[in-house]
Amino acid sequence: MIRTENLTKVYQMGDAEVYALHDVNLEIQEGEFIAIIGPSGSGKSTLLNMIGCLDTPTSGAVFIDGIDTGKLSENGLAEIRREKIGFIFQQFNLVHTLNALENVALPMFFAGVKRETRLKRAEELLANVGLGDRIYHKPSEMSGGQQQRVAIARALSNDPEVVIGDEPTGNVDTETGNTIIDILEGLNKEGRTVVVVTHDAEIAARVGRTKRMRDGRVLD
Amino acid sequence: MKDAFLLVYRNMKERKARSALTVLGIMVGIGAVIALMSVGYGMQESITGQLVEMADVIMVMPMRMELGSIGAFGSFTDRDQEAVRRIGGIKDAVAMRGEMEEVEYKGEKFMVHVIGTDPKDVGALFGAIVKPEEGRYSKANDHKTCTIGYSIANDYFDDEIGVNDRLTINGSKFRVVGVLEKQGGFRSETDSEIYVTARDSVSILDNEDISEIFVRVRNIGEAEEIATEIEERIDDNHKLDDFTSAMTMGSAIEQMESIFGILQAVLIAIASISLIVAAMGIMNTILMSVMERTHEIGVMKAIGAKNRNILFLFLLEAGVVSAIGGVCGCIFGVIGAHAISFGIHTAFDVEIAAIVKPEVLLGAVVVAMLVGILSGLYPARKASKMSPVEAVRYE
Repeated sequence: MIRTENLTKVYQMGDAEVYALHDVNLEIQEGEFIAIIGPSGSGKSTLLNMIGCLDTPTSGAVFIDGIDTGKLSENGLAEIRREKIGFIFQQFNLVHTLNALENVALPMFFAGVKRETRLKRAEELLANVGLGDRIYHKPSEMSGGQQQRVAIARALSNDPEVVIGDEPTGNVDTETGNTIIDILEGLNKEGRTVVVVTHDAEIAARVGRTKRMRDGRVLD
Repeated sequence: MKDAFLLVYRNMKERKARSALTVLGIMVGIGAVIALMSVGYGMQESITGQLVEMADVIMVMPMRMELGSIGAFGSFTDRDQEAVRRIGGIKDAVAMRGEMEEVEYKGEKFMVHVIGTDPKDVGALFGAIVKPEEGRYSKANDHKTCTIGYSIANDYFDDEIGVNDRLTINGSKFRVVGVLEKQGGFRSETDSEIYVTARDSVSILDNEDISEIFVRVRNIGEAEEIATEIEERIDDNHKLDDFTSAMTMGSAIEQMESIFGILQAVLIAIASISLIVAAMGIMNTILMSVMERTHEIGVMKAIGAKNRNILFLFLLEAGVVSAIGGVCGCIFGVIGAHAISFGIHTAFDVEIAAIVKPEVLLGAVVVAMLVGILSGLYPARKASKMSPVEAVRYE
């Protein structure tokens, strides 16, 4: 489903070159639940941004569903993000002027889904994450855990094959964290590929496979 | 589309004060242009409108160019009038003998322009345009009667003068038989004149010279040719070059229109400066909005927004702000135009009705939106080009 080939990302810090990713070769099978762990600055978020098509590599390649993302235009990448990938952030990153329903419907708006259809689907998705009674609440009126569940519902709105979480439990308490892991597990059971970056040992223990990273390299 | 408007609306609501100020900027710019254009049209209309009624008239005056100055020098004779009458295509030619004379009423004295004309000509020619408000024009067999202009009747003397009152012109008693309608504008001098019969004028005026010939043509299309012919005939009589000036009202209208065209263009150019300032206001607002929402733009891109989705959202914001500004500007402009014409009326006692043309309002809204969208283009492009990962990281 996802494959990286000698994936390298170099940042220029003044005169120095910093390798955020160094020849990363990683293959993630369809339907896998994988956790990438490692200390801060090890390059896990950078790797996730590459897989999520948010960032472009300095060299090497990322294949998603067999497509070489390096060959895609900005619009092509946006389409991949929209259709194949659901992104969940540590900071939830909801649009604060929109309510829960509108936030969940937003990716479908960009995909050109009809208004009634997308509002109906957004409502269902919110009900699935247990927020059926909070659909008209603004992010500022919800707890961190509720916001993260809205963000998950939003990630699922275009029915992606891959769900990517960047420290999805990093900003919520343990109990909510467990709920979120439950939801992610459920998504994996539905057949979706789930990739998370985490510090959380509990997530790491519950997923099928973990990969450790250090200094921009994936350790075996 | 509805949701795009919703996004824009929520964003504007979040930054109420700034959005309102931007709208205000556009409103003032557009309003100023509309107000000045409407007053300009009103001015043009009030002056050329009077002239159009007289489109078949040629004014013939002795006028010689001397050292670059224009003034009336010399006068015409009866022979000139006859020569003009013989030209084909002329309906009538009225000679006017005029001079400043001392006029006395109830002990008050003023110098007034007294004009002598043949009563039958006045009725047929001049009378069709300038009608008596009260009474009538002098008739051929009247003796020492006069028709007075509106201002003579109402403004000059402490007491108002009406029909059958008597006034003294250059020592002779005259009976008022008519008071003319107020003319104002281009024909305002008529308000300050007194008309007597040609026969009486000879007895009171110091000379018999004709000061002006008033010609009406049968066919307006021939007016220019006839005017040239009149000039040639009279110049021949006097054996002078460029002695006569025959001006058709058509050319007077053209001159007026071009003067007003220039005046209006200058006013609109000045008003447009405020529109340019408003455009910069929009650009600034949208730029600020883009900066503040960098993170949000990143998130939208991360969840699948294409560059053009982002571009569209920000252009829509610029368009909505400027459309609201344009509509408010129309209201402001219409009120402003009427306020200016009221101001002119109060200050100068000149009646200028502002003319608000629907196409000007429509054009103003279109221009406002165009200005808005053009100024929104740069910030919107900037937003759409942001790298998603950097924008998401931006706090």
